[in-house]
Amino acid sequence: MLRSFARRGAIVLAALALPVLLIGNAATAAPKTNKLASATLNGDGSTFQLGFNQVVIGAFKPVQKAVTINYQGNGSGTGRTDFVNGVVQFAGTDAPYKATDPQPPQPFLYFPTVVAPITVSYNLSSVSDLKLSSDTIAKIFQGQIKTWDDAAIKADNPKAKLPSTTITVVHRSDSSGTTANFTSFLTKASPSVWTLGTGSTVSWPAGTQGATGNSGVASLVKSTDGAVGYVDFSDANASDLTFASVKNSSGKFIKPSLVSASTAASGATVNADLTYDPINASGAASYPITSPTWILVYTTQTDAAKGAAIKAFLNFIYTDGQKLASSVDYAPLPKPLLKQALTQVRKIVVPAS
Amino acid sequence: MTAIATPPAGGSNLAPRPRSRARRIKSVVAAAVISITFLIALIPLVFLVGYVIQRGADVISSDFLTQDLPFVDRLPGGGMNPAIVGTLLITGAAALMAIPLGILGGIYLNEYGGKNPLARLIRFLAEVMTGVPSIVMGLFIYTLVVLNTKERTGFAGSLALACLMLPIIIRTTDQMLSLVPRELREGSYALGSRRARTIRTVVLPNAAAGIVSGALLAVARAAGETAPLLFTIGIVRETNTNLFKGQNTALSVQIFTNATSPFSVQQDRAWGAALTLIVIVFIFTILARLVTAFFSRRQAA
Amino acid sequence: MAAIAPPRENELPAPAPKGLGTGPRPPGRITDRLFRWLALASGLLVLAILALIAYTTTKNAWPWFSAEGLGIFKDNWDPAKGQYGAGAMIYGTFLVGVIALIIAVPISVGIALFVTEIAPRRMRKPIIYSVDLLAAIPSVVYGLWALAVLTQPLADIYSNISSATSGIPIIGDLTADPSPTGLSFMTAGIIVAIMIVPIITSITREVFATTPQPLKEATYGMGATRWEMIRGSVFPHSRGGLVSAVMIGLGRAIGETIAVALLIGSSQHISAHIFGPGDTLASIIANQFGESTGEQRAALIGMGVVLFVLTVLVGVMARGVVARYDRKSGATV
Repeated sequence: MLRSFARRGAIVLAALALPVLLIGNAATAAPKTNKLASATLNGDGSTFQLGFNQVVIGAFKPVQKAVTINYQGNGSGTGRTDFVNGVVQFAGTDAPYKATDPQPPQPFLYFPTVVAPITVSYNLSSVSDLKLSSDTIAKIFQGQIKTWDDAAIKADNPKAKLPSTTITVVHRSDSSGTTANFTSFLTKASPSVWTLGTGSTVSWPAGTQGATGNSGVASLVKSTDGAVGYVDFSDANASDLTFASVKNSSGKFIKPSLVSASTAASGATVNADLTYDPINASGAASYPITSPTWILVYTTQTDAAKGAAIKAFLNFIYTDGQKLASSVDYAPLPKPLLKQALTQVRKIVVPAS
Repeated sequence: MTAIATPPAGGSNLAPRPRSRARRIKSVVAAAVISITFLIALIPLVFLVGYVIQRGADVISSDFLTQDLPFVDRLPGGGMNPAIVGTLLITGAAALMAIPLGILGGIYLNEYGGKNPLARLIRFLAEVMTGVPSIVMGLFIYTLVVLNTKERTGFAGSLALACLMLPIIIRTTDQMLSLVPRELREGSYALGSRRARTIRTVVLPNAAAGIVSGALLAVARAAGETAPLLFTIGIVRETNTNLFKGQNTALSVQIFTNATSPFSVQQDRAWGAALTLIVIVFIFTILARLVTAFFSRRQAA
Repeated sequence: MAAIAPPRENELPAPAPKGLGTGPRPPGRITDRLFRWLALASGLLVLAILALIAYTTTKNAWPWFSAEGLGIFKDNWDPAKGQYGAGAMIYGTFLVGVIALIIAVPISVGIALFVTEIAPRRMRKPIIYSVDLLAAIPSVVYGLWALAVLTQPLADIYSNISSATSGIPIIGDLTADPSPTGLSFMTAGIIVAIMIVPIITSITREVFATTPQPLKEATYGMGATRWEMIRGSVFPHSRGGLVSAVMIGLGRAIGETIAVALLIGSSQHISAHIFGPGDTLASIIANQFGESTGEQRAALIGMGVVLFVLTVLVGVMARGVVARYDRKSGATV
């Protein structure tokens, strides 16, 4: 009798244990999403990360309905300033704080989110696969190379049929992180040739054309035969532009793509604070004009609801968010960097509510 | 006082004949040239409005006017409701602050201040401020209000727009009041009215048309301004009717950010917003003129 | 009876001599006082606001002023190399303003004359409403429309004019080097002209409308044609108001930000080529503020302060011109 009792008991126990085990497995398999308290997060800064931010914010809303996140693209400089002054809870920036900038008053963290290439787009109907080295690009944008059949371009493209069309150089009228990263590449890769310096604003030579925004440059390049300009990958794709392959530090001509941008990010050295510079990074398959971008957050949060929301949002960016990046033409972070970023999220201190 | 005096038919009998014909021809030619200037001004108007209608009319629908902004701008869907409400509230608040203050300030300048040092200083500053770019007003409010309150609000944008409107309203009010003939005021004083009453019953109604014109033009301009709002109101996806709490958005800012993007969905949205804004401002202008006409007719009766 | 001095413009008549005025006083003494204080308070509040704007912007721009001194007028804007001279932008602001006024003032005066002197009464309202419609269009829409529709045709026109006038001494220099995209001083000037026509027309119209009827009829009585009446009575009477209207229009022109930023081509070099790119104070602030920090930011705010000074200078010059003309012609109307 004890035996049959034990057998029945074992069956009952198993019947009880199984669902508990199953639920327990499910619980550890998918993290329990706590419903966060209502909070509004305002962010400002880089226009480069605007496309990605919109997609992740849109995907985050159904997950945490009580959290509203607003991100405005006023420029990395304004984002960094707003962050210092506490006007926003998080900021987007394409470049770290310079030593001469006003610094944030509290400790803060750099969270890299995505990378994307900056294309050198051109309009030449007879050439479908233009290759350009950094020296050539520098001379073109400085106005030293004036026609497409110049010897330097021929040297980069021995097999191509280059017309004698005049080159129309298009640059940005408005200050931009894209200009900063593009000129940073030229300064790093061709220091002896490029004389215009690096910055979100440079003084372009007379005879070049300025247009407002990536789309302004894109539409000017598209409508002018013989034009060349630098445009973010996402906007260049939307405008259906043709990109040049750029010579990287290993001597290979690489086409801009999400894969080559990720490769560049992997080839860069990452600092302890997660800042890094993928421009002209090493790696045979790296695209040399790759732009990084970060979200800035204060380490110690003062508001419980907002702090919890920020943490959840960052976690979301590094899990589901990375999968959404390519849908808007951004490359996700390389895995090692992603792991470091996820670990860094835990450093954020949220007060008990 | 409002009838047009016409020259006596056949010219004057006192001038010798040959000179008279040349002068008459000159007069007719001048009248023709003057009439043509109006047509010249009409040409860009017709083309511009036509273009906006052509690119924006298809986009406008009840969804467009009532739905919230989409999360991802480059994807279709959503509407401009937050921007429409934002523009109405922000510009409305700015007008409520700037118009009374501007008109009273203009009254002070012309009726009480005259040429005294205070009035001269105010006139000088108002003249200086009319040349300020709209973005500088926005940056002024950004440094004074946003950086100190540590948040962007619709009201900060209203302040920036009010600062933009104030100098223009003051100067046009001052100018219009100075056009009222001295004799009208003297007549009113002679009848025993004090100055405030004279201003209220004689001077203001006389100058009302010009003052209202100036105020309307200032409001119309403010409603279409982008730069002062870029750094002061932030952005939202959902309609926010509270000017003092939370960020906001406006049609002008949405037009600018969407139009300078290569995605055709965004450009369509921009032109739809542009058409909406022009219609709103135009309706407001017509309403204001009708109201003024109604009140001045009552006054005359 | 003692002599009573005639009242000056807009003042109450001089107080009555002793002995008179012992009868009942006009009603509403307190309301009058209150209104007077209200107007004064408004004036003071306006003064405080305007002064605060001037003070805050100057304070934020101070790092630039103190670092550059008179160098703010140099033609060398290059933030990447730490150079912050605004000469090219000051020049560009003037040039665009002048172009806009040359185009807008004759048109505005023409429309104002048309409405007040020539058009039949019934046409007045529709005309005024259409000009108002021009004002209802946001500045960003002007810029976008011009970019989409005007810049290419204008580029062709510039190129034709440039080749046609290439040999001529001064004009040839002005029209040389046209921009292949149409983005230039001239394009910006044309659009700004369209934008300032409504405000100049509105004020000018009111000013013309107040020309005293007896004056006009007297001129006709002397045998003047309509055009001679306009030249002889309306214009002299309206001089002051016209200058005021033009000044307000110019103020709007040099302060125009977004439309100019989209159309001027953003080239920070002084150049005589009106068909080529340039830059203005307002548009460079809009273009570069978002990414700026440090001295560049102070410089951009400082350009706003420079604009205050420019507006004042132009106002002073304009009033000087009018005053001298008044003195010469002896007009007192």
